[in-house]
Amino acid sequence: MSREAYAPPTLQPQGSNYGAASAELAGPTTQYLCGSCNSKVQLKKGDPIRCKDCGHRVLYKERTKRMVQFEAR
Amino acid sequence: MAPVSVSPEEARRRKIVGVNAETVTHVSSTDFPGHYPGEDHAWSLEKFAKDFTVQFHQNSPYESTFSLFPLDASIANAFRRILIAEIPTLAIEYVFIHNNTSIIQDEVLAARLGLVPLTGRLEGLNWMQFYKRPVSDEHDASGGGETERDTAADNNTVVLKLQKECSWAPGQPKEGETDPNVLYINSNVYAKDIEFIPTGRQFKEFPSPDGLIRPVNPDILLAKMRPGQTIDLEMHCVKGIGADHAKFSPVATASYRLLPTIDILKPIVGQEARKFARCFPKGVIGLEQEGEEGEVRAVVRDTMRDTVSRECLRHEEFKDKVKLGRVRDHFIFGVESTGQFESDLLFLESVKILKMKCVRLKRSLANVTR
Amino acid sequence: MPSVLANEDQAMDDAPQSGENLAESGGDSFIDLNDQRIRVLPGANDTAASFEFEAEDHTLGNALRYMIMKNPQVELCGYSIPHPSEAKMNIRIQTYEGTTVYDVLEKGFDDLMGLCDVVTEKFTGARDDFNARQKP
Repeated sequence: MSREAYAPPTLQPQGSNYGAASAELAGPTTQYLCGSCNSKVQLKKGDPIRCKDCGHRVLYKERTKRMVQFEAR
Repeated sequence: MAPVSVSPEEARRRKIVGVNAETVTHVSSTDFPGHYPGEDHAWSLEKFAKDFTVQFHQNSPYESTFSLFPLDASIANAFRRILIAEIPTLAIEYVFIHNNTSIIQDEVLAARLGLVPLTGRLEGLNWMQFYKRPVSDEHDASGGGETERDTAADNNTVVLKLQKECSWAPGQPKEGETDPNVLYINSNVYAKDIEFIPTGRQFKEFPSPDGLIRPVNPDILLAKMRPGQTIDLEMHCVKGIGADHAKFSPVATASYRLLPTIDILKPIVGQEARKFARCFPKGVIGLEQEGEEGEVRAVVRDTMRDTVSRECLRHEEFKDKVKLGRVRDHFIFGVESTGQFESDLLFLESVKILKMKCVRLKRSLANVTR
Repeated sequence: MPSVLANEDQAMDDAPQSGENLAESGGDSFIDLNDQRIRVLPGANDTAASFEFEAEDHTLGNALRYMIMKNPQVELCGYSIPHPSEAKMNIRIQTYEGTTVYDVLEKGFDDLMGLCDVVTEKFTGARDDFNARQKP
């Protein structure tokens, strides 16, 4: 990808109700794990970064399911 | 011309390495033809076979100490180097991590696993061949195993598995409980959790329960986890040598030291004798009563236990009364095995490997273009 | 460091059962112990030569040097490892008239092998005696 083709992420439209604004934006969801209660959190683009159960704002991405090979050295 | 013979006193004097307060003397061997005019120092197998002695001091499965004498340092050192770096053993080489959500990183966990000493049935371990890689491998056990290159098979790869998931212990924990062993299940991952997955002939070569490939020490802590964390991985073990990686070294230590000598030149008696004895480890210097009611006198009891600390040379009163040294051709070996093989077998293996080197290279020499 | 990690966008098959994509393709550096591993360095004649041993080090170098120096027909024997990053060991042999460096080197191997047999025999004997004495 050339430097020119790179589009930096833009901020969401301004507004205090940023939780509701994303409802109509359909897209793939990504699964996260809550940093506090370890529950699974599904987030779409534009969703508030927040656990649905406990409201914790630190979410972790799940580890890849892909096998990784190492040399034991 | 008949070879000049050497008096026993002279022969002993020649093989003592002098140890002074700050210096050492007479370090090099002199038993070569031409070194002493008229004497015969040519190699003679008959003479070596007659003189050479092995004395065992300890022989437990994983720790042996024994003396070899007379032997040159170059030969003793060859055995020691082979023990450390050239005897093949089985160790974990490849780690396939399916999942690892513990806090210990994948590569760190893999390196830790590699260092776990493994054991199994001796005949099975000897049956195992090298897993040949395109990169250099110091040893070639089979000779005719060309077709197996790069293919993991039952005779060159052992598969192990480690699957562990941590969870909360059932029931409500006591108020204020902090002990992880009470609060959680599987919070510690130990070497005993490694599971052997035999294939093919390995069922026969490593029979359950005593022959199984398993860690020597089941209680090695590999990782710690908390509820929700999991480790799921597979390991491939191959044969290798210590020169390639220390995890393949069959010994924890393999070392030698020279037998110390203590020569008391002038009598050390009375309180001085007691002080002299305290300069050495227990049992090295004994005290003997002179006559019925005479004074006690220091005598040398067991130099084997001496550490040659030279403490006695720091005291003015002993300086001219004692001569410390070591016997240049008396090697006290200490071999500690990591557990894959017994230590006396390891030494025999090192001798065998040195011989194999000679056999191979002699064959190679015959093909040298002259 | 992961030695294999597929590109983000590609599906990945099961783990290869072989090591084909693990080891570096260092085919040149592979030393088979049955290969020809002794070479005579240039400038040799029958009574003075240097031999280059591949994939050997101090372990054999010093032991063999000692055995060859024990031969009265040898004027000089020494060994060196010219560079630590090359797995090579050189042995220099100079003999007196009446023998050749090849015979001397061969005798060195023979003597060392004879020594190994004696050590094995004596060690086994001493160990069995010791074990028998420990038992009762």
